[in-house]
Amino acid sequence: MHLTGYFLQRLIRGLVTFWFAVTVTFFLVRLLPGDPVLAVAAPGMTEEIRQTQLQQFGLDRPLLVQYFAYLRELVQGNLGVSFLRSQPVSQVLMERLPWTLLLTGSALLLTVILGVPLGVLAATRARGWVDQVVQITGVVGQSLFVPSLGILLLYTLGLMLGWFPIGGAVKSGLTGFSYYLSVLHHLILPSFTLVLAQLASYVLTLRATLIEALGEEYCDLARAKGTRENKVIWKHALRNALLPTTTLIGLQIGFLVGGAVLTETIYAYPGVGRAIYEAVGQLDFPVLQGAFVLLAATVVIANLITDIAYGLLDPRVRA
Amino acid sequence: MTTTNTSATAPTLAPADLKPAQRTWRAFRRNPLGMGSAAVILLMVVIAIIAPLLAEFPSGYGIEILMPPSAAHPFGTDDLGRDVLAQVIWGTRISMIIGFASSFLAILIGVALGILAAYAKRLDAPISMLVDVSLALPVLPLMILVAALVGPSVTTLVVVIALFSWPEVTRIVRSQALSVTRLPYVDAARTIGGSHFWIMTRHLLPAVAPIIVVSVVLTASRAVMSEAGLSFLGLGDPESWSWGKILFNAQRSGALTVAWWCTLFPSLAILLLVVSSTLMSIAYNDARNPKTREN
Repeated sequence: MHLTGYFLQRLIRGLVTFWFAVTVTFFLVRLLPGDPVLAVAAPGMTEEIRQTQLQQFGLDRPLLVQYFAYLRELVQGNLGVSFLRSQPVSQVLMERLPWTLLLTGSALLLTVILGVPLGVLAATRARGWVDQVVQITGVVGQSLFVPSLGILLLYTLGLMLGWFPIGGAVKSGLTGFSYYLSVLHHLILPSFTLVLAQLASYVLTLRATLIEALGEEYCDLARAKGTRENKVIWKHALRNALLPTTTLIGLQIGFLVGGAVLTETIYAYPGVGRAIYEAVGQLDFPVLQGAFVLLAATVVIANLITDIAYGLLDPRVRA
Repeated sequence: MTTTNTSATAPTLAPADLKPAQRTWRAFRRNPLGMGSAAVILLMVVIAIIAPLLAEFPSGYGIEILMPPSAAHPFGTDDLGRDVLAQVIWGTRISMIIGFASSFLAILIGVALGILAAYAKRLDAPISMLVDVSLALPVLPLMILVAALVGPSVTTLVVVIALFSWPEVTRIVRSQALSVTRLPYVDAARTIGGSHFWIMTRHLLPAVAPIIVVSVVLTASRAVMSEAGLSFLGLGDPESWSWGKILFNAQRSGALTVAWWCTLFPSLAILLLVVSSTLMSIAYNDARNPKTREN
């Protein structure tokens, strides 16, 4: 019962966040210096076309009227038209969203799979050499610039050693099993770039919270009962230490999406991020605006999922 | 208990008449990692200032294209034959200007709103809400949209980065200031009839000052990364060089697949600056905290 209330509260917060994102972009685009017509049409149009566009998109109407019209269209999934491709923005982006989800999703999963054992290792050997190495690499890892890391991996593992393809998401003309194998092969470098860029914050957070948890009285009690240290770590302390880490996932998803934009640019990975890069070059504003709205929605949904996970992990939320 | 404590710490105990700032400085000075990082940052600031004396502004075309590092070009040349070392040196200038200017702006907004939220109960909920919501959003795509709309320039980059970096500062300052507003001396200041503005600027601001010092460094290094990210996507100032723009050029021209030197050196510059900033703020925090400070 309480859990439902908690989820409902999170859902409302998610909706407010999304509404805020949409509203801010709407007013930024229209109030910033620059021609609002540029937000819907190609630069370099004639004055005549400009006037037609102004009327067609209702850009000559009062701002608030435009705002509600925009919200109405948005609810129906209409994000405008990309003038570069003369296709609806939603269509352009929806074709690409699965690739971005695959990239960010796999990176997040891998980060947790690698981050938890590393964090445990560092925390249980606090001040030992493993811990020292983890801490130093952690500081450097948190300072990595995603494109630099991407270029490094691409150059060494892709070009010099030739282990992985250096661009694209799949080799064309493949079917069945070999298609999926090719997808996986193309995914490894971009995904690993994102993993390495964010792994450090997870490991350092988990390390700090786990060290704290291992000093708590309930861990002493478990040890006094004769529970083996391994079980104390993995069953008692880790469960509590994972809570701040779960919160971190929610906080880091925005960063992950930003990293995906940069990573997709380097590897010519056909996701939403690469669409943003292409749209920047062509000043295709409807795509830029739509991409932000879509990514904001993705982040809000992902945050909602971490909130639900948090609620299930932490019994105090239910009480 | 007391005696062992005193005897253990007596030889290194700092004179009692030292001000907290002096104590922090004494402890900071003894941390080689912190001092080394500070020296690196200082060196980069100096390079940024005297860039015109160190290298010619890289422009036009050269004959020697994509040359690996040599005595004449220690960092090699790019696809148009321009010296990469000169690009990195001039890039230091723009990266530093954008980093510090946008961090200054972000901290101005962030500290003002953070203190306001902690002091004025009625404003706390809306400001905190705004901060939470902004922190949840993917910032880079939003910066890209705004920078592309306004048109890339140094001013645009500074404003855009500041506009989306203050919530982090507000969150930290608010939580610190919140614990101070409950202290008796703030009540005392109110009792003697101090104005709200006076209490906020003379009593709350000094209490959060150490946090601000750390924030300046960290926000600036994050701003440098944001600038590099935007420039890498082609939204850098077209008239000047920055580290991100060198990477952008290498990516666009395809030089990154043949010439490692075009991307390695600007990447190292970014890494060096951000690592130094992080280490310096860790060292500063350790020096400020009496528990981790050794004297």
